Amino acid sequence: MGRLAPWIGGAIVLIALPHVFSSGFALTLMSQIGLLIVFALAYNMLLGQGGMLSFGHAVYFGLAGYFTIHYLNFIYEEEVPYIPVTLIPLLGGLVGLFFGILIGYVSTRRAGTTFAMISLGFGEMVTALTLVLVAIFNGEDGIQTDRVIGEELFGVTYGPNIEVYYLIAGWCLLCTLAMFLLTRTPFGRISNAVRDNPERVEFIGYSSQRIRWLAFSLSSFFAGIAGALHAVNIEHVGFEQVSVLQSGLVLFMVYIGGTASFVGPIIGATLLYFLQSTLTGVTEAWVLYLGVMFVAVIMFFPGGLAGLITMHQPIWRVHARLLAPLLIPYTRFFAALVASVLGCIGLIEMLYFRSSRLSTETELVIYGIESDPFSAVPWIVFTGIAVAGGFAVRKTLPSAVSAWNTAIADARTLPRG
Amino acid sequence: MNSALTLTGVRKSFGATEIIRGVDLEIRDGERHAIIGPNGAGKSTLYNLISGRFPPSAGGIHLYDTDITNKKAFEINRLGLTRSFQVTNIFARMSVLDNVRCGCLFALGHRYAWWKLVGRLRDLNDRTVLILKDIGLWGKRDLPAGLLSYADQRALELGIAVAGGANVILLDEPTAGMSHSEIEQAVSLIRRISEGKTLVIVEHDMGVVFDLADRISVLVYGEIIATGSPSEIRSSAAVQEAYLGTGAS
Amino acid sequence: MESFIFAMFNGVLYGMLLFLLASGLTLIFSMMGVLNFAHASFFMLGAYFAYQISEGLNFWAALIVAPVIVGMVGAGIERWGLRPVHRYGHVAELLFTFGVAYVIEELVQMIWGRVPVPYEIPDAMSGALFTWQGFDYSIYRVFMLVVSVAIFVALFALLTYTRIGLIIRAAVSDPIHVATLGHDIPRIFMWTFGFGCALAGVAGVVGGNVLGTEPAMAIQLGPIVFVVIVIGGLGSLGGALVAALIIGIVTRLAIFYDYGVGSLVLALGLEIDTAGMLRDFTRITTAQVAPVLPYLMLVLMLIFKPRGLFGTRDV
Repeated sequence: MGRLAPWIGGAIVLIALPHVFSSGFALTLMSQIGLLIVFALAYNMLLGQGGMLSFGHAVYFGLAGYFTIHYLNFIYEEEVPYIPVTLIPLLGGLVGLFFGILIGYVSTRRAGTTFAMISLGFGEMVTALTLVLVAIFNGEDGIQTDRVIGEELFGVTYGPNIEVYYLIAGWCLLCTLAMFLLTRTPFGRISNAVRDNPERVEFIGYSSQRIRWLAFSLSSFFAGIAGALHAVNIEHVGFEQVSVLQSGLVLFMVYIGGTASFVGPIIGATLLYFLQSTLTGVTEAWVLYLGVMFVAVIMFFPGGLAGLITMHQPIWRVHARLLAPLLIPYTRFFAALVASVLGCIGLIEMLYFRSSRLSTETELVIYGIESDPFSAVPWIVFTGIAVAGGFAVRKTLPSAVSAWNTAIADARTLPRG
Repeated sequence: MNSALTLTGVRKSFGATEIIRGVDLEIRDGERHAIIGPNGAGKSTLYNLISGRFPPSAGGIHLYDTDITNKKAFEINRLGLTRSFQVTNIFARMSVLDNVRCGCLFALGHRYAWWKLVGRLRDLNDRTVLILKDIGLWGKRDLPAGLLSYADQRALELGIAVAGGANVILLDEPTAGMSHSEIEQAVSLIRRISEGKTLVIVEHDMGVVFDLADRISVLVYGEIIATGSPSEIRSSAAVQEAYLGTGAS
Repeated sequence: MESFIFAMFNGVLYGMLLFLLASGLTLIFSMMGVLNFAHASFFMLGAYFAYQISEGLNFWAALIVAPVIVGMVGAGIERWGLRPVHRYGHVAELLFTFGVAYVIEELVQMIWGRVPVPYEIPDAMSGALFTWQGFDYSIYRVFMLVVSVAIFVALFALLTYTRIGLIIRAAVSDPIHVATLGHDIPRIFMWTFGFGCALAGVAGVVGGNVLGTEPAMAIQLGPIVFVVIVIGGLGSLGGALVAALIIGIVTRLAIFYDYGVGSLVLALGLEIDTAGMLRDFTRITTAQVAPVLPYLMLVLMLIFKPRGLFGTRDV
């Protein structure tokens, strides 16, 4: 029963969410996050579970999206057998699987950095083809559809956004469960083994290439489901969805969220897409922040956000009160970090404002305060905050680290309680 | 007598350098056979040729009656030959339990299955428990393998190698870098896991070699200069000169 | 024939530019095992720095100074960014440089804006050097070719005849061995990375004014440079040269001789399907597929000769 609790809890949260956040913006946002979670988890089957870094996984997401749009249009024109929208994502998954098997056969022959470059090559090739084969991909405009093709069970038409939300939430839960169970199969375990030590695997009877191919194909299947859900949700698919930019975005989500644990990609997809959709309207520098965040994660905590959580797991497993001594040093460090980050953001925003010659705005508001980037005062203030914060970060970090070390040591000496 | 492993005129060159220069070797079914020789004699290369890490430049290798000369490593493993490595070669981020499980999976016929859960596979888990207890790591089964002590990692290395139940076991310096008490434990472990199987062992510790081996082959500069029982090897003049006499430890 | 020579000239020129980029990338890869995803970003920085310097001073100052600055930036990124990541392995290093590419592109936009900057060919070289068979061979393009050939020769000489070259070649084949000789490997890595970036910077200075200096230039050229070094064989400088020339020439010829697939279909006596979903396959012209060709070659190469033309080592 205890093992089912997270799934039941997750289902309840998914059902309740639209009743808490019911605006149209929130619904679209949550729907998009739901399908991106599927995509991110699929991606992590490669990166985190199988040790394959791909720069082109959006290919399977995007191609399934294009296919779904065409299929919906063909249904409308009665040229193909009718499939209810509820089951359309499965079709997308099969499209992803098809291309995954095909392209995966070539690209999984190599591992490591060579695999990464092959994936980039395929990503670029497919993106370039979308601009050449206009009848299928319609170039830069992309293609669109109307997802309302008829009434299904219980009078569902997928006209209203709320119905699409529940479609995505259902598929998201199903796929998450499926991918979680996959990690616990012989395939999942050997996939981990290939990640850790591809050479050794060959001496216990496995072809590491075959395992990579299988992992690649299954991952493409789930990426295809996500792509189909995207097509149903947005009713439009363009070359952006297959491009390296989309592949990079899912990589960022998964890596920042944390590749080593199963929930990492879920955290990453939720956080990053939320930030992206709320910040793109506010700042021009979103991609810069994203890039800096990514680089910082690689350099300072390669376990990602989920890694930060799991490094405390041995502590609260023993006793939650062992976390108490961490509170003050962590708070100090976090306050310093926030201050320095806010200072840097202020500086970056002013730089962007000065350089974007196309900007029609005349005044810049940072943190609710009007800051004139052409006078000295805000520059001095933000530089001061950034530098002081930076110093404080360096000063408070050692005590935070030693507090963690002490807590871990305490947890090791105490029996489990 | 049946031979488990037969090497005929095996040669291997890397670029212009010939490392293995015509090795003929016969390992009998069910024996414990040690291969000794000074550093750089080509012992690890010989293992790599037998186990399929790379193909020989010339010659042939047979596992029982099957020609395995140009087969891939995983194909040779499936035919019933397993090996351990001189440098510890485990799955560092996975738990000790899962390391051993991976060693069992293919041999138990679960292959690439993605529709069964490992937790529910009774044959797999019974076998894994047996091996974990045998190599003395049952108490540490949930630790990531990378965090084990050196001696424990060596034991795990053995565990992964024998988990599949292969008939022919090749061990590459299984006691390298161990203390005296650890070596004693390792030898009794090797004795247990090789019970009723064919064992080939590369070893520097002469105590271990003479303790374990039924027969010994001496490899010097890519050639087998002598093969025989421990007492024959001990008294062989050629071996004295080429190997034991050079003051090798 | 005349037009063929002209197209070949442009192909060789483009190929040599690709080689300038690929040579730095190969050098970094074979020394450090790092695939520098941000390599084309340093090419872009070279172009932008050159633009800024030639605004203040002139093109010749830019040609010398800009690559030096790019090299310093590269060395700095290696020292304070890449070196700490080294212990997490090559895939983490590749990821790091991927992130750096994003950051550099955004920083360039932040400083110089999202639209192209007017980085132009210096007046002294704007005319045609000679006209032959009706085609103008511009001074600047010939100059570009001279610069890239000169760098190729210098690089070759450096690696073959100097002490540094000896260390570099030794480090490529066996890094641990060089460390035992007492060479400070981290420092060699830092300057290798800086030097490789500086080579990309040179390419940016001489190529930026022809290809256009804009924030997207890195992401357009970057993947093609990767293709070049994979086709050439990872870690092989000679392979990179051959692959760069092949890709340069093939893509330029495909654009120059704009043949369509449709004409082939007609020549085979088949009928053209003008309405169906697949109609675009018959409308494809070689100019359209030119951007896809490098990747197609990559895929074919990986199927038939996975180590590349002259590759000797696996990754």
